[in-house]
Amino acid sequence: MAQKTNRRQFLKMAGAAGLGAGAVSVMGTKALAAKKSIPKTPIKVAAISFLSGPAAGPFGIPGDNAYKMMADVYNKQGGILGRKIDLISLDEAGGAKTQVELARKLILEDKVDVILGYISSGDCKAVLPLSDELGGLMLAYDCGTHVLMEGKKSPYKTPKFQLGFRTSAHLGQDNIALALAIKKYMPDVKKIAGINQDYAWGRDSWHIFELAIKKLLPQVEIVKTLWPKIFTTDYTAHISALQGSGAQIIHSSLWGGDAVTFIKQAKAAGLFKQAKMAMSRGEPYPQELGAEFPEGQFLCCAGAHYFLYPAWDKWPLNKWFVSEFKKRYGKYPTYPSYHAYQAITAYKTAVEKASSLVGGWPTMEQTAKAMGNLSFETPSGYCVINKDHNAREDCLVGISKMTKDYPFPILDPQRLEVFPSFQVNAPAGLTTEEWIAGWKS
Amino acid sequence: MGLIYALNGLYFAAFLFLTSLGLSIILGVMGILNLAHGSLYAIGGFVAAYFIGMMTGSPAVLMLVTAAAAAMVLAGAVGLVMETTLLKPMYKRPLEYQLLITFGILMLIEDLIKLVFGGESRYASAPFDAMGSIEITGHTYPVYFLFVMGITALAGLFIWWLMAKTKLGIMLRAIEMDRDMAQAMGIPMRRLTVVAFVLGAALAGLGGALVVPTTPAVLGMGMDVLIMAFIVVVIGGLGSLKGTLVGSLLVGLTRSFTVAFYAELEMPLLFMIAVLILVVKPEGLFGQK
Repeated sequence: MAQKTNRRQFLKMAGAAGLGAGAVSVMGTKALAAKKSIPKTPIKVAAISFLSGPAAGPFGIPGDNAYKMMADVYNKQGGILGRKIDLISLDEAGGAKTQVELARKLILEDKVDVILGYISSGDCKAVLPLSDELGGLMLAYDCGTHVLMEGKKSPYKTPKFQLGFRTSAHLGQDNIALALAIKKYMPDVKKIAGINQDYAWGRDSWHIFELAIKKLLPQVEIVKTLWPKIFTTDYTAHISALQGSGAQIIHSSLWGGDAVTFIKQAKAAGLFKQAKMAMSRGEPYPQELGAEFPEGQFLCCAGAHYFLYPAWDKWPLNKWFVSEFKKRYGKYPTYPSYHAYQAITAYKTAVEKASSLVGGWPTMEQTAKAMGNLSFETPSGYCVINKDHNAREDCLVGISKMTKDYPFPILDPQRLEVFPSFQVNAPAGLTTEEWIAGWKS
Repeated sequence: MGLIYALNGLYFAAFLFLTSLGLSIILGVMGILNLAHGSLYAIGGFVAAYFIGMMTGSPAVLMLVTAAAAAMVLAGAVGLVMETTLLKPMYKRPLEYQLLITFGILMLIEDLIKLVFGGESRYASAPFDAMGSIEITGHTYPVYFLFVMGITALAGLFIWWLMAKTKLGIMLRAIEMDRDMAQAMGIPMRRLTVVAFVLGAALAGLGGALVVPTTPAVLGMGMDVLIMAFIVVVIGGLGSLKGTLVGSLLVGLTRSFTVAFYAELEMPLLFMIAVLILVVKPEGLFGQK
């Protein structure tokens, strides 16, 4: 007997049919995706850091070690979508021209899947435009210049490069965070000086710091700005000039052997009895210098990258990362190691995200598209890659303090300042300078 | 602060004197512009850093004497090999061949250092730390810098004695003044050329050894020193001990006071002085025409 279908039953059936069709459609897509093959060959990942020269010890080798560690860990977990990572470690030494030639070879001849690289801002600026020109995916992992992804005037077009990314935040955040920390701990400071290397990195770092500190503390007088050549071996003249200036705080973006040399000579000359350092990327040096590193100095961590922050009980990923790194290399990871983690993990996460959407192994363009708006967990918290292809991170500033627990000063746990990413990074499309100019004093 | 600025200038002058003296002797006696001089200085730095690292815990002066001696011997030995194998065939060739070969040697030594010592910076600050600081007119000053000034004064006196009071030095000066006449007088040119080169190389090694307690030994450390040493030699004059001393003092003190009062002019002023000397007195303040 035929049953008459009433309106309610019809709607139920129609709904069920719709859901069924939808389910079939989704299942069909997934089935289709599953059918798309994933190659079995290893993924060629070029990791470029300074492996020789003055930047090798403090930056290149800790970064390269983290790449090797993470490639090994990911490979043991099955690689990326089942493909093993074939990590090719290469030296960044030789200058921008050498790096441009190397990048051309890697993309055109060796056909690597991705380049994770560069500590030098000069190298980043020279090489990243090749990403679009030659069609190679590039993730700048450590270089700090804020102009890499920014246009000259606001608003600028984003992204600057379709296939070029930076997976860590730039020097703007370090110097803004330092200025904010100084405002909190020394709001009455009157005299500030700067010692920064005489090239783009040093000049840009001071430029942003000066803009920020003058906006935050208008009473501050800049009493001395010094520009020693990179790889200077004798800072005695500079140290005396700083002592003579009466500065209470000395801003510095010195790095590597220069930072070590300056701190040692300055300590022996008694500079730290009258002034405090504010080091925009000072986090590695207490471990480098041991107990010789002076207490009470402001140190920025190039993000929130520190072996004791986030606290291990609250963020187990940092505990794992630090423990694994220390076990393998005998040292605590410093910020370049965290940056390397972010680069290789950003690539892995973007490939997996793209694959989940399109199925199979994504093309370079699909991976780039997935990376253009990506958020992922890191040992330092969350890293967000924005539409301008530049990462945003929170930024940690601390004050060095000797404790009985470590053979070098750590950042005083009672005075850790973490500035959220929106407070220390210009929004996409706005230059850092114009953003600071728009702050209310 | 004036006294401290002056002491800083004297320390930098001492360091420059040690490194440029060898360059000046080689240039004066042999007529060779040794671009690899900075590499010999770097060898001294790395060797000294190695020895200081090995002797951790020993008295500072013992560490320094051992490290400096080892650095001088090794830099001198490399200089000997360099001169007898690679430079000797170039003496009768035009100047550009000598420049090319010494530049090639610079690159070669750089790679050899990397091969032997690795690419990482080498820290050797134990003697600097151990010597501590003293108070001078109410200012803290590192003792190590005074030590370097003392060693440099001794080295300068030794070279002066060697050049002025010994037969070897008189013969070397004769070669500097007139090579053809010296040869005609029967001076053993070949042997003395080797001696001059090894002496210059050993002095470069000593310079490198004395600098590493204050700054890490790094690849490429010889390049900047080479530039500064050239400025000193241009100002002071080729092959002149007095010229090298005055050139070093002028550069050291000018730099110290310029950084204190007009920091932006630190390097431009030094280059301007060198250019001025080249235009007005091309042979240098104490050089021979």
